[in-house]
Amino acid sequence: MTTLYHNLQTFFRGDTGHFSWRHFLREHIFSSWWFAPWLLLLLYITVRVVAGQFAASPVVTAVVLIAWALTVMVTAVSNVLHRHTPLTFWLSNNLYNSITSAFISLLIVLLLIAGVRGFFGWAFVRASFVPDAEVAAQTLSQWEDPGANWGAVVDNFRNLMVFRFPREQDWRLWLLVLWNVLLLIPSTFVFSREVYRRSRVRRVLALLWVFTPVLAYLLLVGIGDGGPLPRLNPDTVWGGLLLTLIIAVFGIIASFPLGLLLALGRRSKIMGVPGWLTWLVVLPLTIYLVATRTVPGLREASGPGQILISLLPLLLPVAAYLFLRYFHGNVVALLSTIYIETVRGVPLITVLFMSIILFPIFLPPQMEVLSTWRVLAAVTFFAAAYLAENVRGGLQSIPKGQFEAADALGLGTARKYRLIVLPQALRAVIPAIVGQFIGLFKDTTLVETVGLIEFLGVANLISAQPDWLGVRREPYVFIAIVYFIGNFLMASYSRRLERQLGVGER
Amino acid sequence: MEQTHIPDHTHKHSHAGKTDDIIICRDVHKWYGEFEALKGVSMTVKRGEVVVIIGPSGSGKSTFIRTINRLEEHQEGEIIVDGITLSHDIRNIAEIRREVGMVFQQFNLFPHLTVLENVMLAPIHVRKWDRDHAHERAMHWLNRVGIPEQADKYPGQLSGGQQQRVAIARTLCMEPHILMFDEPTSALDPEMIKEVLDVMRDLAVSGYTILAVTHEMGFARTVADRVIFMDGGYIVEENTPDDFFANPKSERTKLFLSQILSH
Amino acid sequence: MTDLTPQAPNRRESVPFWRDIRVLGVLAQIAFLIVVISGLAWVARNVTQNMSTLGGSQFLCRDGSSSVRCAFDFLQLDAQFAISESLIPYDPSDSYGRALLVGALNTIKVSSLGIVLATVLGTLTGIARLSSNWLISSVARWYVDIIRNTPLLLQLFFLFFAVILAFPPIREANQLFGLPIFLSQRGIDLPRIVMMPSFMTWLIFLVVGAALAAAVWWWLGRRERETERDANRPLWALLALLIVAVPGWFFASATAADTQGFLAPESSGITEFADVPEVVRAQLGLENLNELDAALDAGTVTQEQVDEATVTFCAVENSPPLTNMAAELNRANVPWAVERSRTPAAASADFAAGECQLLVSSRTALAGEQAALADVLPSTLIPLRELPVRLSVPRIEGLNFVGGIKLSPNFAAILIGLTVYTGAFIAEIVRAGIQSVAKGQSEAARALGLSESQRLRLVVLPQALRVIIPPLTSQYLNLTKNSSLAIAVGYPDLWSTAFTTLNQSGRAIQVFLIAMGTYLMFSLLISSFLNWYNRRVALVER
Repeated sequence: MTTLYHNLQTFFRGDTGHFSWRHFLREHIFSSWWFAPWLLLLLYITVRVVAGQFAASPVVTAVVLIAWALTVMVTAVSNVLHRHTPLTFWLSNNLYNSITSAFISLLIVLLLIAGVRGFFGWAFVRASFVPDAEVAAQTLSQWEDPGANWGAVVDNFRNLMVFRFPREQDWRLWLLVLWNVLLLIPSTFVFSREVYRRSRVRRVLALLWVFTPVLAYLLLVGIGDGGPLPRLNPDTVWGGLLLTLIIAVFGIIASFPLGLLLALGRRSKIMGVPGWLTWLVVLPLTIYLVATRTVPGLREASGPGQILISLLPLLLPVAAYLFLRYFHGNVVALLSTIYIETVRGVPLITVLFMSIILFPIFLPPQMEVLSTWRVLAAVTFFAAAYLAENVRGGLQSIPKGQFEAADALGLGTARKYRLIVLPQALRAVIPAIVGQFIGLFKDTTLVETVGLIEFLGVANLISAQPDWLGVRREPYVFIAIVYFIGNFLMASYSRRLERQLGVGER
Repeated sequence: MEQTHIPDHTHKHSHAGKTDDIIICRDVHKWYGEFEALKGVSMTVKRGEVVVIIGPSGSGKSTFIRTINRLEEHQEGEIIVDGITLSHDIRNIAEIRREVGMVFQQFNLFPHLTVLENVMLAPIHVRKWDRDHAHERAMHWLNRVGIPEQADKYPGQLSGGQQQRVAIARTLCMEPHILMFDEPTSALDPEMIKEVLDVMRDLAVSGYTILAVTHEMGFARTVADRVIFMDGGYIVEENTPDDFFANPKSERTKLFLSQILSH
Repeated sequence: MTDLTPQAPNRRESVPFWRDIRVLGVLAQIAFLIVVISGLAWVARNVTQNMSTLGGSQFLCRDGSSSVRCAFDFLQLDAQFAISESLIPYDPSDSYGRALLVGALNTIKVSSLGIVLATVLGTLTGIARLSSNWLISSVARWYVDIIRNTPLLLQLFFLFFAVILAFPPIREANQLFGLPIFLSQRGIDLPRIVMMPSFMTWLIFLVVGAALAAAVWWWLGRRERETERDANRPLWALLALLIVAVPGWFFASATAADTQGFLAPESSGITEFADVPEVVRAQLGLENLNELDAALDAGTVTQEQVDEATVTFCAVENSPPLTNMAAELNRANVPWAVERSRTPAAASADFAAGECQLLVSSRTALAGEQAALADVLPSTLIPLRELPVRLSVPRIEGLNFVGGIKLSPNFAAILIGLTVYTGAFIAEIVRAGIQSVAKGQSEAARALGLSESQRLRLVVLPQALRVIIPPLTSQYLNLTKNSSLAIAVGYPDLWSTAFTTLNQSGRAIQVFLIAMGTYLMFSLLISSFLNWYNRRVALVER
């Protein structure tokens, strides 16, 4: 205790030269010209906020202020004495690192408390949870500033989840969920342990996973009119979170083959079409088109637009030149690149509208395709371009030596990729693909704009129901929470995976 | 080509009250939270003296020299460099950093600048030289450390030894009076250590005040005027190199020397 | 000796062409090409078939014939739909082409503003993420996590329907932090800087001040080289600028004073500006006009009395004198109203008819007016104080805010939505970029004596930018593409106008080509910048 007393004495009296207020002010406050004004501004803001919060909720603010002042003092003394408890050590490193930091911490705590109070007041205190609209209205009317009307979400819970899926067919969804859970649980450790590397369990599980899409189709769509699995019309019965999940999962899985081919295509180094052959085709074609289109077109043209269209055939040789110059005659790389860059260059919403408006024009007149299928196709085509770029990133991360070793062993192109390159590349891109899935899961909300009622679409319908007219915030908040939990879990999983891949095995 | 450049301290920056002691440390304490890294270190370095600090890892020797140019803040005690007391005042800190050059274990060259730009950066922006003068001095120092031909390359294109020599040139170009080396050879391959030590030896005989943390006992034995042994945040022993290595006084020093010299 | 050198084969070994790797490659590609082309041909045939069943209107020419040549002729037809906001003059009788241009410009507007704001927000948040204060970094992390993990469309809907449209009606508009920023159902109203005629006078001072600052900069630079000491050039240059600009401000204000003014009828007894608040004060029976709000609350003054005492003046709409007068009256806390007219003549007529108490205009115009009205309405010409720059503050008049800048609810929703969403992604990029710069770099910079700002500017930032710019550019790309979600909140961007055009004209293929082509062009512009930059800053490694 004598040391403590001695130290405190030097702290306040400064007689040993360790501490003096003049010294302190000169070194900490006036050491640079901007610090004092900044501190004053911060003090002003703090006082304003404290006063405001004090008026709103005196007790809480007073408690926070006292706690703050006490901890700041204790931390300051601990710092001077270099004697820390775990708490003061944490505080001095994280909340009270400097004079300004201490004030900012107080500010943030006060504002956070105000925000959390506001939200809790709205979400719980002044809220109604009854799915009965009339009771809810009564409950809410007792408040001057009524809070959340969660009844709308409770009442529409089924709509939000599956929308119009027939109730008597619910068992199909439960079965599908059960199937996936049953497969997922053993998979998590069978696929992560080296013990099972060559085991039969692993192969069986893989086979069952491959069978899952078939099962999903049987359960979600069904076959035949009678029988145990009557056929359902996706356009009318799929909706809500169900539709969102279908689109996102289908999109990422179905885009995989196309994305892989596009990635390989863009990187392909096969011997290109020679220049003479290209020109042999392009030049006569250009001459023919100029003769039949450009010349009569220019003669009849009225207005610059028409002239431009008539001149289009002249671009053909330019395109051929660029093709030979930048792609060395490699048609596969050219077309893959054009596809990838075009799709990545336009917004998803235009691709979705294209599926609704243009696909019918592109297909034979007698062929009618449900809009759900068209949207699924559009999402797939869209996701494939992004997936291709992710896979390409993975391919680029494979050292050149791996390719050379495979070539030297005489494996041949197909086996080189199948046995050596792709296993490594795909492992490396799993985190990126999880990231893409998160993006796709979020982007699925856009199908609402083309008239499919997915998760967010149901929320917008709720506010139009006579019972819950204008109730928007509550379903939005609910959806945001669902998305946040799902994506946050996936993102943390992906980060963990990234660390694992980064550390070992490679 | 000038081969020896002896910094002219006496005329340029002489002001009243300056003694022959260029670095004075009195009872320097440094805490990381509750852990006390420096437990009252006192020492003085004279003008033109070469002092080598050795000690086991975690003994506080790096921390100590980093407090001298304020890369680490000391909480108690007094540090006076060339008559300037080190405090929180940014002007004092800037002043001291101009006096004191530092060479790091990991070179810390700026990868986005060429070798020449690395050397010229601080003279232009801190010493406010014009470009031509800075260029001329930079080339002089690159010559001095023996790699003028690498001036337009990027640090990433050089070997470790070359990078460390560039780092030394970068420090010298600021014309400091004091040079501090923080384990300058620890990150180097054995065959490159010699080229860096040669440069350091050359600087030591040119009259610089040098404070070096190093494990190169050969350097300490042949070049140093004084060897300081630190352990556990204290200065355990200081002596001339001959005495230090021949008959160490403290048990800890003996133990350390036997460990380091036995292999 | 010569026997041992291997002989070059005198003829190349002939490989049957079906085993020649080159021929196989070409053949495979031709086969691939044939598959692709026949697929396209199938689509083309379906399109023509569908066209004939849909009717040939797609390619209708002006002379009534039908030809692919005329595919884009519809762009010259009248659009016949209204667009709620536009950067260029537009009305429904303009063509589809112009409507699409309006949309494209709106997309550029919201994207470029969004890019700037998101960069600022993202950079600040990214730095906050690295703060040593645990609360600051946690708040920043929560913002980033919540925004990144929820869909943008949901955020836009929430912002538009549940926040902006839920703002109070215009009469009870929220004022943000006591600043002249108003939030209401009609959108967001911000103050706007207006340059007065005397700004030109002040500009001369600014130029001279800048020249002086440059001279000081240069002179101090020479001194720095002599003394080898930092001379704090920014501070002195700023002072040099201020030492000219501040007197210049008052000079411009003083010399301009007689270019603007107002007419007050002699009967009103107003002979200088200070009389105006005095008259109102006397009428309301207050000690000081600053007490007006308090008196209204206390009930000592009724709203009717205030309405009665309100000063009405006539002025030409959007004219500098109006802004000037409004600012002066606001300063004096005088309740006021304005009769806006299109032309000076109309304003004078209103004044002569007694619809307002004061006529505000330029002094030359007022002098003429004073002479013309000498018999009917004898009046005094009073000069009006003018400042080179005035703030035009939004103010409720009738059912709308007048003055300042107005952000419509739709525009505010898409702009704020895009900014907040992209800002979260940029924050992560900035954080990673700053963290990528090794700690030793900062230590070396400090040890060399560089100041904190020099360290950031010369050492940390160039290295961090190298890591930041590529992903940042792709975020800019995403923001531009995501601006197409504007259709969900009713902002007329490119896709929104394109979709309306499509519905009205029925030219599906052409409209898709135009819209997607334009987006593609934006994307290519941004990504070609990225490639250029990457090549410029690529780090040279051993």
